[in-house]
Amino acid sequence: MKKNNSIRNRKMSYQFKKNSSRMKSGSVLLLLSFSILALTFLSGCDEGVLDTTPYGQTTSDSFWRTATDAEAAINAVYHPLPSHDLYGHTEMTLINIPSDDEFRAGDHGPHSDLENFTYDATHPYFDISWKNKYEIIQRTNDVLINVAEMDIDQNLKNRILGEAHFMRGFAYWTLAKLFAGVPLILEDDVLNGEYDKPRATLEATYAQIESDFQQAANLLPATHDGANIGRPHSGAAWGYLTMVYMYQEKFQDAIEAGSRVIEGPYPLAASFDENFSIQTQYNPEILFTVGSSEGWRTQAHTIYTTPRPWGGWDFQAPLPDLVEEFEEGDPRQDYSIMMPGDIFDLGGDRGVTEFTADLSPTTGYHFEKYAAWRDAGGLDMNMNIPLLRSAEVYLYVAEAKIRSGGNGDTELNAVRSRAGMPAVTNATMDHIIHERRVELAGEGRRHFDLMRWDKAGIVDIEQIYGEDRGVYDPPRIFVRPKHYYYAIPQNQIDISGGTLEQNPGH
Amino acid sequence: MVEKLRFSDLSKMICFLAITLIVSGMVPNKLLAVQVKSNNATIEFHKTTLASIQEMFYKTRFEKQISLELNELNLKQALREFAEVTGMKLTYRGDIIPDKTVTLTSNSIAVSDALDYMLEDTGLDYQFSQEGYLLIQRAKPNTESVVYVQSISGVVLDAMDGTPIPAVNIVVVGSEESVGGVIGTTSNVEGEFELNVPDDLNTLLITSVGYVEQTVDLNGRTNLTIELERANELLDDIVVVGYGMQRQERVTGSISSVRADELDEQPISDLSTALQGRASGVEIVRSGGDPGASGAIRIRGTGTVNNADPLIVIDGMPSDLRSLNNINSDNVESIDVLKDASSAAIYGNRAANGVILVTTKSGQLDQPLQVKFNSSLGFSQPVNTIDVLDAPTLAELKRERYTNDGIPVNPIWEDPQYQTQRTNWQDELLGTGTIQDYSLSLQGGNSTSSFYVSGNYMDEQGMMESSYFDRYGLKINSSHNISEKLNIRQNLTLSRTSGNTLNTQSAQTGVLWSAIRFHPGLPVKYDDGTYSSSQISGEFGDINNPIFTVEQDSDSESEYRRVLGNVQAEYNILPGLSVRGNLGLDYSLQDFYTYNIIIDDQIRARSRNSLDRRFTENRSILTEAFLDYSNSLGENHDIDVLGGIILEKFQGETFRANRLDFTDESESQRVLDAGNTINLADGTTFEDALLSYLGRLNYAYDDKYLLTASLRYDGSSRFSSDNRWGLFPAFSAGWRISEESFFDGLRSTINNMRITAGWGRSGNQSIARNQFLGLYGQNSQYSFNGAQVRGISQTRIPNRDISWETVEMLNFGLHTRWLEDRVNATIEYFIKDSKDVLLAPPILGTLGTATVPDVNVGEIRNKGFEIELGYSGVIGQFNYNVTGNASFIKNEVTNLNDDFLSSRRYGRPDAEISRTFEGEPIATFFGWKTDGLYQNQQEIDSDPNISNDSRQDIIQPGDVRFIDLNGDGQITGEDRAILGSPHPDMTYGLSLTSGYKNFSLNLHFAGAAGVEIYNADRMQGLDPTYPFNMYAEVENRWNGQGSSNSIPRMTTLRDNQNHRTSDLFIENGNYLRLKSFTLGYEMPAEVNSFLGTRGLRLYVTGINVFTVTPYTGIDPELGYTDGNLQRNVDFAQYPQPRTWTFGLTVDF
Repeated sequence: MKKNNSIRNRKMSYQFKKNSSRMKSGSVLLLLSFSILALTFLSGCDEGVLDTTPYGQTTSDSFWRTATDAEAAINAVYHPLPSHDLYGHTEMTLINIPSDDEFRAGDHGPHSDLENFTYDATHPYFDISWKNKYEIIQRTNDVLINVAEMDIDQNLKNRILGEAHFMRGFAYWTLAKLFAGVPLILEDDVLNGEYDKPRATLEATYAQIESDFQQAANLLPATHDGANIGRPHSGAAWGYLTMVYMYQEKFQDAIEAGSRVIEGPYPLAASFDENFSIQTQYNPEILFTVGSSEGWRTQAHTIYTTPRPWGGWDFQAPLPDLVEEFEEGDPRQDYSIMMPGDIFDLGGDRGVTEFTADLSPTTGYHFEKYAAWRDAGGLDMNMNIPLLRSAEVYLYVAEAKIRSGGNGDTELNAVRSRAGMPAVTNATMDHIIHERRVELAGEGRRHFDLMRWDKAGIVDIEQIYGEDRGVYDPPRIFVRPKHYYYAIPQNQIDISGGTLEQNPGH
Repeated sequence: MVEKLRFSDLSKMICFLAITLIVSGMVPNKLLAVQVKSNNATIEFHKTTLASIQEMFYKTRFEKQISLELNELNLKQALREFAEVTGMKLTYRGDIIPDKTVTLTSNSIAVSDALDYMLEDTGLDYQFSQEGYLLIQRAKPNTESVVYVQSISGVVLDAMDGTPIPAVNIVVVGSEESVGGVIGTTSNVEGEFELNVPDDLNTLLITSVGYVEQTVDLNGRTNLTIELERANELLDDIVVVGYGMQRQERVTGSISSVRADELDEQPISDLSTALQGRASGVEIVRSGGDPGASGAIRIRGTGTVNNADPLIVIDGMPSDLRSLNNINSDNVESIDVLKDASSAAIYGNRAANGVILVTTKSGQLDQPLQVKFNSSLGFSQPVNTIDVLDAPTLAELKRERYTNDGIPVNPIWEDPQYQTQRTNWQDELLGTGTIQDYSLSLQGGNSTSSFYVSGNYMDEQGMMESSYFDRYGLKINSSHNISEKLNIRQNLTLSRTSGNTLNTQSAQTGVLWSAIRFHPGLPVKYDDGTYSSSQISGEFGDINNPIFTVEQDSDSESEYRRVLGNVQAEYNILPGLSVRGNLGLDYSLQDFYTYNIIIDDQIRARSRNSLDRRFTENRSILTEAFLDYSNSLGENHDIDVLGGIILEKFQGETFRANRLDFTDESESQRVLDAGNTINLADGTTFEDALLSYLGRLNYAYDDKYLLTASLRYDGSSRFSSDNRWGLFPAFSAGWRISEESFFDGLRSTINNMRITAGWGRSGNQSIARNQFLGLYGQNSQYSFNGAQVRGISQTRIPNRDISWETVEMLNFGLHTRWLEDRVNATIEYFIKDSKDVLLAPPILGTLGTATVPDVNVGEIRNKGFEIELGYSGVIGQFNYNVTGNASFIKNEVTNLNDDFLSSRRYGRPDAEISRTFEGEPIATFFGWKTDGLYQNQQEIDSDPNISNDSRQDIIQPGDVRFIDLNGDGQITGEDRAILGSPHPDMTYGLSLTSGYKNFSLNLHFAGAAGVEIYNADRMQGLDPTYPFNMYAEVENRWNGQGSSNSIPRMTTLRDNQNHRTSDLFIENGNYLRLKSFTLGYEMPAEVNSFLGTRGLRLYVTGINVFTVTPYTGIDPELGYTDGNLQRNVDFAQYPQPRTWTFGLTVDF
């Protein structure tokens, strides 16, 4: 065999020699061209070439296996909170701008529609708010479906499921506040692919919210430690239950739930401003907060509300009427609002700088609660947005007691004395209304409190908003019941093909 | 800013031009004289060896008289001295010059005689090269063998008009075999040539670009008059089809072709621009005039909401739209557009949107070396700007809005300092841009190999500071007949483009948008050199000074390097049967650089500086193998069968890094290392693959009845293994009526007539990858207690059933030629049905924000007529050619599953402008209808449109009366309707090519009719609720009963949302544009002989010379702004400039 081969080879080489020298390079090219053909056919015959790898992506088949997966999945549930579409901007305008506490300032056209109640269902923010809250719900449902069946440490599992219930309750609660009853998408709906559901009644929506928060309260620990601080705990669930009960005027339930917070490990911070300082923003009074971390997941609300020359954009300016609401010497005025003459350390080249009225192009004020600057200069984006503090739960309990015929002095005075303000006796709703306005200024409560109290006949919101308080707070037309709730986003009604019904009046 | 190699400075440019002139004029006169046919030199052929293609030495008899004084010099020294005197470069290999003393003194001796004398008895011979080299070498044994030659002279004329044709190649057929070297010459500017032909040879081959190749038998003649037929008809005759070529008479599908000469001399950075208006059914949609901007190409309408770009195939290598931007138009031989499915289906897997085949130039066998240099310099300027208010009027109208609202006027508007007109910001922003373009090409060939090499450079500086595009390119094509059976050819394009595209689409920061709105009472800079700023007052709006933005805050560059090449080998196994292999590579590296400075004295401040770098690498490897059999069976049956297998693999990676906090912003510190804080480092890897099997049969019976059938079976990795294969068949047939005997009587009038019909199906898989998988993304971060945690969430819901999007097209055509080919007319009708269009259904909000996969639900129909007409004629010495084309295409979404598709919202008001509905064209304008303005309170009180609207009490005279379409007495989102369509009813092009003596004039018009534009910039420009400057039109606003019925009153309030999306801002977008104008002058023979060139042409080209349009915005040519879902929405995009270019082409 070997011999034969060598003979044949010799023959071939002889043949090549006989040809011109050009054929030598030709034979190389001939081989090359046949290689191309061979390559094509060989690789073409293997259909495996069409199976490509999704690099860097986890497929549904390979997820939901380990405790790490479960933890990553629950972490993702919080991710939408600081985004521009929720508390970074959009949600803060939806909940704050209609109130009589602030002027929209800034130049976003859609804000004027919110302020003046001239919006219609095509307002883009409604759609944005709607979708992003359902994204949270979708992620919580995913966790509730998959983690429940996982074989992992029971404590961890309880915590994760508890967080999922909490966040689903929270998302439905923020939807219900804005839009009333909404489609309830729960685990079974996800498994059945059923998303085109009609709106549940407001009652049914509340019932779902209560159920989620109650399960969260049962599953979650009372506190977290270390790196988990900032995750919702049972106190947060009780705190939200207190609020949800108050909106339904279930005063006894609210007192009961609220007392779990008041008696729990959630004391008021020693000083009011600890709640709005980066060093102390995870103190026990903060029941639930939007975490913000520079360069990682950052909220934009700080940028929107601070003075332009100081790095911000001048939106959502406090009105004089709110500034005047503070009692003489109430330190919360100083901590909540930038007043002319206040001194700030802006870091960097600017350093210590005085706030002057002309730093606000509109009302002469800025909110201060969410403002912080880095030592090196520039806004410090590590500033969180607290969403629920025990102080508010104290005020709910006080209100619930007063409105159910009891005495709310203890809880009300706890909040006042922390601020160094004198105690009141036999507090009335007027005290509660005042105290909530100054304690929670800029935290998204005023407009919803006024609507809540208007429904109960305690205040007249049409009259309050109809008053002329100057250029930045002109008379505005609030129409009952139309403006109690925003319009269901027109886009969603269009997509649903009519499954979703619009709120009355819109 | 990173140092860039650019000739931005005018002095450098002038210097460069000067060098160009020197090279083209003086140098050849001295050094390249050997190539010149002048009276002083006649070429005498000796047997030579072509050392290599690049080194072509000719033995030439030089009778030029020189003066020499060589006194007892050593031969080496003598030769050196001689070289110096004659200006030649002496070269020889090895130590071949013997010791010999030479003495030669003469005041007038012929160059050749001098050499002959010096080299006498040395056994040495000499040759000249066209580069001016004088080669001394050992004489070949047969060098001295006498070749008997006959002297031939002649003239080459244009057969149509009898004008002489310069630069025609005349080659003696068989000369290489006979004497070992190619014997040939080229005609001079008078079309004349002289040639010595060995007397055993009898045939000349006459070739010239643009003319039909001709062979001439001498048969003893020594003085010839050769008439060449223009090649238009014949070149048109051969069209490039998928994986091959075909004679046009045999084409049964629908193909439009654009030839090189139509593209020459246009200063364009992107080939798609050159196609505009050139071919029926091919629409180029420009999305801005910024340097390097590409147009979107739509062939026979928009067939999908996904990627609707056609497949681009460059010399057999499938590529992408971007590659049109990487190629110099001088390098292009032809562009063939496969429009119908029957011709495109052979490219099955990516042919649904049509196929564009680009063929680059190549050398010819036996072609003497041809060197061509083209250089042009152009200037671009804005065509128009928007009239905005001047400072005093602005203040007056701002005050009016406060007075109208009953609130105190902001004192800034009383301040006289800001009521003096200082700056027209658009004029400041839009200056003069420049374009320069240089290319040098060499082509030629011997009996076995041919080559084309071209190097080119272009640089375009935009009208706006900091916007630019430049490109370096190298093109190398060659073909080699290794043996009679084996041919290897190679194509290679190397390119590097870089540029900076300014933001001109944002209604927050877009620079032109800003210039329209910036306060006209502020200077560009104050006396102390600082830029003016609207930080002065919130009333001036949150816009940064646009000149500051382009001069200081636009340090960004996108660089793109690409290697596109392939090697093909074809082997003829038997006569008619060949096998062909093709190996191709498309490699690109894209590099983005953006540096953001700290801004504290502008209103949109930035507190931290940052540098962002992004790299994207794409690799695509193509392997193809084909078997081709073509033969005539019997007398009347011609068949051509092709079978093949194709594999394409795509891989890529992205990498991105970003750092913050640069202590020092100086240009030398703008590198990542200098940033103090690492912000992010991201990277991804991806891959795709396509595998295809194809077959095609062409059959012709008696050259009258034609049939083409093809079948292609494609697999794509974008679909799951259950759904990845698609079958794409196509059939077409043609009948050449003019070949029938019953046509005999008509043939003198209609010399050619053919009808064709075809049907085919092709596919589209250009969608996001991995949609059949449910994917969990790792980017859902959050932070607890200051610590960062990573979250994983479902980012994509899977669609396991996702599969091919297909297009089925039916095509009918009638192709005719009249009056001895002087007139040609083609009319075609098509119906293009896109099926299983992959749509991202509008996502139910209850699903959240995860990406919902596309589903194969949509159906889109495009149908229409295309007409192409051409006429060429001669009047005396004036010859002209007129061609026109028009396309009437109707687009309709026929099935959308009862849903609609939303699109991008506009700017500050976040206005929804475009929606796509079933039963309507893609991307219709959607909003409210209006009925003028309320002129008085009574009209408001009695208006049924708002009888039930809570805003009735707030609405005031001067507000817009919106129409309550659903009759509920309120204006709500339910009252919106379709307001118009962005698609033209007709697009058309008209070209005139003409020549008179040495002059040529080409005009090319393009236009659109029956089209609407949504002027979103005007919508905001009339809106007084923003703190911006406004369109000058608002001077005609409503300010009392009867004052206006279309421009609402001044107010700070948005209660009635007067400036919401409505029919008030729909405009007629028809236009007719003189797209290009070229006047050329071919230098007469005397000039050429003086300069020593073969051809010298000067030209001036104008682009966008004038436009006729009723549109009030800056430019009626607007592109897509959101995939295919939004079109013709004016965002104050970078306008197309008017460009005048001056250029020069030299043939050596």
